[in-house]
Amino acid sequence: MGEFKVFTIKKNINEDNKKVADETREYLKSHNTYLINVMSSPGSGKTSTLVATIEALKNEMNIGVIEADVDSDVDAEAVENAGARAVQMHTGGLCHLDATMTRAGIDQLEVEDLDLVFLENIGNLICPVGYDTGAMKNIAVLSVPEGDDKPLKYPKIFGKVDVLIVSKIDVMEHFDFEMERLKERVLKLNKDIKIIPISSKTGEGVEAWLNWIKEQVKGRS
Amino acid sequence: MHELGIVFEVIKVVDGFVKENKLTKVDKIVLEIGELSQAIPRFIEECYPAAVDETDYKETKLEIISLPANGECNICQEVYNIISNRKVCPKCDGQDFKLISGQEFNIKEIVAY
Repeated sequence: MGEFKVFTIKKNINEDNKKVADETREYLKSHNTYLINVMSSPGSGKTSTLVATIEALKNEMNIGVIEADVDSDVDAEAVENAGARAVQMHTGGLCHLDATMTRAGIDQLEVEDLDLVFLENIGNLICPVGYDTGAMKNIAVLSVPEGDDKPLKYPKIFGKVDVLIVSKIDVMEHFDFEMERLKERVLKLNKDIKIIPISSKTGEGVEAWLNWIKEQVKGRS
Repeated sequence: MHELGIVFEVIKVVDGFVKENKLTKVDKIVLEIGELSQAIPRFIEECYPAAVDETDYKETKLEIISLPANGECNICQEVYNIISNRKVCPKCDGQDFKLISGQEFNIKEIVAY
């Protein structure tokens, strides 16, 4: 029996995740595929936003969606019906996707012929933010009924994402929600963020969101 | 549960290190977890046995060193815990600080042969 020794590892666990994420980005670039990580709380309208987006863009580009949920296939079905290729990942209770799980979804989806892939992360404003998935851009969806005080409660996500979609603006008059107050709070956390208010129901603002995507996909290579 | 995925990641890294260095037995894994990291030490400890069950690390012990969420005041340079002081410097009441520790999640070392 040998003698126990101390081996210093001093390794940040997130570095390993970052490495896998960087490899994923390289892989996607080699296939000219643009990955966008979509985060929000449950019920914010991620799927409705994606469905509207896919319907509007499916004739211009090939779109894929990686759906991550604890259980069920309802979201994958919805985006497939809209015209995207979808895979459903079940995380079995895990509250976020890391780079390794994302990579598994990408491999399952077979992205070679896809221009754009959305990763619909688990509905959760906390855990997904801490994990680089390998996406080129990160976005968050905040719906009007959730309130304009969310950036005060969950500063990390608003501080990190490149785009904030404010969804369900068609119901704004029924809620104590002020767009200017929200913008002020978000910009304080993240001065480079792009805020796009939309309603998937009336179509208001969707154009600006589609333009942003088109710019990203066009500039990907 | 959030922590279970993190523990699997720890085991993966340790396993890589063990194979690379041709070690045969790991007695203990030592983690450093910052107070502001995404992992709660108590939950890590609770799910650790389930994560190592039926693996080579079933007998391996786990030790967690908690690192404080310390900030350094940009006005008077006082170092203070930003959680217990609610971000306010106890010396000068300033709220402008630079975070110096608390976000870590490191595998510090392993005891093995």
